[in-house]
Amino acid sequence: MNSTPSPYIGFGLGLRTCYFEEIIATNPKVDWFEIISENYFVAGGKPWHYLSQIKERYPIVMHGVSMSIGSTSDVNFDYLDKLKKTINRVQPLWISDHLCFSSLGDFNSHDLLPMPYTEESLTHLSQRLSIVQDYLERPLILENVSSYLTYQASEMNEWTFLAELHNRTGCQFLLDINNIYVSARNHQFDPNEFLDAIPQSAIAQIHLAGHSDFGSHIIDTHDQPICDAVWELFSKFANSHTPVNTMIERDDNFPDFKEIMAELTHARSLAPSNWKNYEYA
Amino acid sequence: MQDLWPQATGKIMSTLEQLQSDFIAMLQGHNTSFTDHIAQQTGLSPEQRSEIYQNAYQIRLKKVLEQDHEMLGLYLGDELFDQMAEAYLALFPSQSPSLREYGDRLPNFLSTHSPFQEYGILSEIAQFERLLLQAFDAADSKLLELVHLQSIEQTDWPNIILSVHDSVHLLTCRYAAVESWQALKNGTPPPSPELNNVQHWIIARARDKRTGFYPLSECHFQCLMSIKQGLPFGFICEAAANVTGDQQQGTVEVMQLLQQGIELGWFLQTSVTQ
Repeated sequence: MNSTPSPYIGFGLGLRTCYFEEIIATNPKVDWFEIISENYFVAGGKPWHYLSQIKERYPIVMHGVSMSIGSTSDVNFDYLDKLKKTINRVQPLWISDHLCFSSLGDFNSHDLLPMPYTEESLTHLSQRLSIVQDYLERPLILENVSSYLTYQASEMNEWTFLAELHNRTGCQFLLDINNIYVSARNHQFDPNEFLDAIPQSAIAQIHLAGHSDFGSHIIDTHDQPICDAVWELFSKFANSHTPVNTMIERDDNFPDFKEIMAELTHARSLAPSNWKNYEYA
Repeated sequence: MQDLWPQATGKIMSTLEQLQSDFIAMLQGHNTSFTDHIAQQTGLSPEQRSEIYQNAYQIRLKKVLEQDHEMLGLYLGDELFDQMAEAYLALFPSQSPSLREYGDRLPNFLSTHSPFQEYGILSEIAQFERLLLQAFDAADSKLLELVHLQSIEQTDWPNIILSVHDSVHLLTCRYAAVESWQALKNGTPPPSPELNNVQHWIIARARDKRTGFYPLSECHFQCLMSIKQGLPFGFICEAAANVTGDQQQGTVEVMQLLQQGIELGWFLQTSVTQ
């Protein structure tokens, strides 16, 4: 399936349950929201009650955490069926998940486990992408994950792997700049080299998030404010690329909504003026 | 149920399959050779790098149990809760893409594994918390209103069939599980676990989407059980009369249940048209 470029719709936030009521009450200046797909695999209740109100006011995109597209087990069509039904109900502008594996056979790790960067993985992921996109009848955007190890088997670095996957399949990426920073610290590479190696045509979305720094290594917790180094990477990226949909992602240790909004405002302020022209109003 | 691992089917594993199989085995503490797959880098050793994933796996699932069973955690205390979570995790690795279902087998685990099985209240608190979760995101449906009942001809009443909302769950406790849950929620000491008689409860999502729970009399419990079985209104009244020992009193009880249920959104609009 050929990728259709996602429309540029500006600066978004991850929609989390603790902010539902405030968003509905205050209509904050957010261009779009991203939901966690699996949170809406349920039949009804509060999640859908609030989402139905929010999606009347804001564009919604869907971001999954459990597809496990890199798994060598059979494709989980039960999962894809639930995802497709949720897509039909939400009508998101685009969908994404992670470039990783999470499950094998009956076992689910609920973690985003890294793939080895090999020819075999490229072939495997290309085939899986084709199956998944055909089933869902829409492109799937893939996010780079944070990692704490590299494999002996890897034949190339992560950014070469992503660029090659894009060349072969046309798939686009959700670049999580925090994840790039976390992996760069854990594996001692230059995060700018990673960002420079991914062609603009391959980038559909940006995530900005925080992490926990343990000195000898960093853990991607998404539960802290965005650090200066990640802001610097984003600023450099924004000033050397045409506009990319950018989002603040917080997954735990949720602060007051105004703190998240302040991060969104800061992201906007770092981007050049042409990033303020949205196709989708 | 997905496919078996290639290892189990005797098929020769590819490099990728082998690596993923070893990774998952490491997470479950079954295999230490996974570190052979990890490249040597400056900083952390391969063992430390694999431990990050192993710890994250255990922490994540334990956190799910903590979040879903907050009051059970308070009732048990940190040490026993940790013991429970570790034993549960070892016995039941997650098999679903959704973490929401991870603790589904916890009530049964608590009633069948020592030392927890010796305290029946623990399984009941866990079961109560699971039902609260299930009620929270059950399917939405149009609810029965008083006006729908008012349009029913008197002669049709015995044959109408009521049905309950998907969020409605019934629970029978032999211990003071719900009372203890409530006390802990309010920050007060739980009562004695022993009850003189069994206590019935209904757990359901109200019209405002908030999940609530209410004690049920034996009569109302039997009526709701009959409604859940799809029995017509005439049989519901009969069930009530059997409990109260009086036909008229039974009908009064059913009407009270109907009124309360309509007010709180327990019955579906489709009920009466069936």
